[in-house]
Amino acid sequence: MKRVLVIGSGISGMACAVRCARHGVHVMLVSPDPSERSQSIMAAGGINAVIADCDAGDSVACHIEDTLKGGCYLGGRRAVTGLCENGEEILKMLVGLGTVFSVDKQGQPLRRAFGGQTYKRTYYCGASTGKQIVSALVMEARRFEAEGLIERRLRCCFHSALIHDGVCYGALLYDETANKPEAVLADAVVMATGGQNALFGKTTGSTQCDGYAEGRLFMQGAALKNLEFIQFHPTTIETPQKRMLISEAARGEGGRLFYERDGKRIYFMEEKYGAKGNLMTRDVISREMGAVKEQVYLDISFLGKKLIDERLPEVRDICAKYGSIDVYTQPIPVSPSVHFFMGGFAVHSHHETNIRSLFAVGECASMYHGANRLGGNSLLAAMYSGGVAAEEIAGRPEVGRAPDFGKFISQEYDKMQERQSADSPFPVMYIRDMLAESMRSHMGIVRDEKSLDEGISDVEHLLSVAEHLRYDSSVRHYTNYSLTGILTLARATLQCARSRKESRGAHYRSDAPKTSDEYGFSTIITYDGGSYNVRLDKEHEYES
Amino acid sequence: MRVSILRQKSAESEPYREIFEYDGSPDNTIAVLLDHINYNDDITDIYGKRTDRISWECSCLQGICGACAMVINGVPALACETFVRDLKGEEIDIRPLSKFPVIRDLIVDRTSIHENLKQTNIYIGEYQPSEKSSHAQQYITAKCLKCGLCLEVCPNYVNGRNFFGAVFANDCYLAASRNRSKSKEIRGVYSKHFGADCSRSLSCMDVCPMKIPTITSIAMMNRK
Ligand SMILES: Cc1cc2nc3c(=O)[nH]c(=O)nc-3n(C[C@H](O)[C@H](O)[C@H](O)COP(=O)(O)OP(=O)(O)OC[C@H]3O[C@@H](n4cnc5c(N)ncnc54)[C@H](O)[C@@H]3O)c2cc1C
Ligand code: FES
Repeated sequence: MKRVLVIGSGISGMACAVRCARHGVHVMLVSPDPSERSQSIMAAGGINAVIADCDAGDSVACHIEDTLKGGCYLGGRRAVTGLCENGEEILKMLVGLGTVFSVDKQGQPLRRAFGGQTYKRTYYCGASTGKQIVSALVMEARRFEAEGLIERRLRCCFHSALIHDGVCYGALLYDETANKPEAVLADAVVMATGGQNALFGKTTGSTQCDGYAEGRLFMQGAALKNLEFIQFHPTTIETPQKRMLISEAARGEGGRLFYERDGKRIYFMEEKYGAKGNLMTRDVISREMGAVKEQVYLDISFLGKKLIDERLPEVRDICAKYGSIDVYTQPIPVSPSVHFFMGGFAVHSHHETNIRSLFAVGECASMYHGANRLGGNSLLAAMYSGGVAAEEIAGRPEVGRAPDFGKFISQEYDKMQERQSADSPFPVMYIRDMLAESMRSHMGIVRDEKSLDEGISDVEHLLSVAEHLRYDSSVRHYTNYSLTGILTLARATLQCARSRKESRGAHYRSDAPKTSDEYGFSTIITYDGGSYNVRLDKEHEYES
Repeated sequence: MRVSILRQKSAESEPYREIFEYDGSPDNTIAVLLDHINYNDDITDIYGKRTDRISWECSCLQGICGACAMVINGVPALACETFVRDLKGEEIDIRPLSKFPVIRDLIVDRTSIHENLKQTNIYIGEYQPSEKSSHAQQYITAKCLKCGLCLEVCPNYVNGRNFFGAVFANDCYLAASRNRSKSKEIRGVYSKHFGADCSRSLSCMDVCPMKIPTITSIAMMNRK
């Protein structure tokens, strides 16, 4: 029987696992925690699709155009076409699985307007779309678990891939329960490990998304793409551990951004962009906010208690709980935060990486969003990419006998043992904090070459420290061994940003503020024994 | 402020208590407090003895994923939404959920929640709603975090071998109400592993972070 190893059990990992199981392919679904803890559950707004009964004037072609335009034409047209054409099918599948969508009186899913889109095409489940989709997929996966086709492995993390001659034969996992590494052979390995939050410390997302798998596979030969494109969400409130998202709906309902100077409120977005200034795109608002020295506030108090209670209860609750802010009377202090990663594994149209039998899906793969993502498109992409990879895998013959990886496995094991044997009181979390601080100052909303160079030298230094670090044995093995991969990914991200000497989508360079045709291609970065090689994908190797 | 934590090095070893001093803000959550003790400086207990970092789990850090469930001052709760300022007394007492095997410190093995649902085939399969289904109740039950707080507080739940608790009842309701053709089969396992032994203390509803009205799920499952 064909066997697939899926790493990560958020929406994209589960979508892939379920689709493989439907084809009778055996899936080992690996994640440190159950799907209920994945970042996918945090998605609130909704999922995009154009269905037969769409808004008058809307069409799949329009969804394709909006997506390509939002991504500043770096998303592959063929791939984006596949994504948008399948929106209706995916929505139907989710409804068929019993996802609890918000519905009208006839039981039809309701749609709402979302930023950057010409028509209303974002389907939603109250304020917890991601969670409701996860619940439905968990049930469907459970059905195949009971049949023995999906085998969930919890408390298990990715360590490295078993690669020989450009073909992936499986992966080395670290089993935190047995406290030892375990090699798993498979006909295909699918990475579904989400975004790269750990590079920045506090983000709007989950602590489980750390980018390690991308960093490690990059070091093992996988090409990465468009790492410089990172979406900032303009309105978040800061807590000691994270940045909490204040939904766009707050501005959609009329919320106004301002700062105070000499006792006067300056509504800077309205002053510059007119009445609709507060509804400008995420990157424009984030950049404008970055240019303001004073604390920026979002005021919704004037909307009144009734409207706030009816339409913005989550905003009211988050502010009260985590910021002690009474939104009925007080403005909300907001600042931009890292929110979504458009970059990730470079993949071909069926989501295979440059390493044969190694696939990547969901947020860790870079494909549809180009230089910027439209809200509601990432849930669609997570579902779609999981399905595309599964279809490709199901249609292929079994890989056949794997070469002997014994030497590689014992080397990796020895390395881990050696680091673990001499205890260090200096935890890797301190280095992660230093990394995040450097990334926030050098890979922020506005970048320039000098600052990026400083960031590169910071990360180079941290990498050299990490090389010699003994492990703190009182934290998880994974936390320890993941450090080098995370730092390497950060280093690659800075390199991509340095190489793109123009401004486009979410990447803004103050020393090259214009968009340049010369750079109208995706960035591809590869690693070769410590050197970081960047090129533009002018041949469209990864976009078809 | 003193923080007393019930710790355990591994599944096999004996639990022990360690007391720490917390000098951070009362406006912090217990999740922040744990990070503060772990990473503010070298980790030492109140006697100045160097010790291991405290193991605990998190993901969303905003009360919607259920990772950080533990018992705080005797109450099962999520660490990332329990604030120091709201706790009474001079000392904060933290221990792992007691109805699950401890893996390390505050991390417990909650796989039994998923295993029980899997063994009893609780899934929707195909959406075929029953006529009287309540959208609001389905929406709220699908928000269940599988955090285990309802099981920790339940007087009838012991170890999940026979009685599976509120988390099971709510998933049964969700699956049965979204697929009427499976309703009969699900009612059978529901009755065996929940209905027959639930004493309606409903303490599960007091601690549920999603405020799921389990009583409504029960009423709907009992309706013929
Ligand atoms: C606050 C917030 C709101 C959002 N709202 C929307 C929205 O309204 N609409 C929309 O379209 N998108 C939204 N997004 C984005 C969207 O949620 C994500 O892009 C999408 O859910 C990603 O799914 P995924 O399956 O790729 O990854 P995730 O759900 O992040 O899952 C990653 C999985 O990989 C596992 N993992 C990670 N590293 C390892 C490792 N080393 N070994 C083993 N397992 C590992 C994790 O444990 C997890 O199971 C939002 C994001 C955030 C943060
Ligand atoms: S970390 Fe998600 S609920 Fe606390």
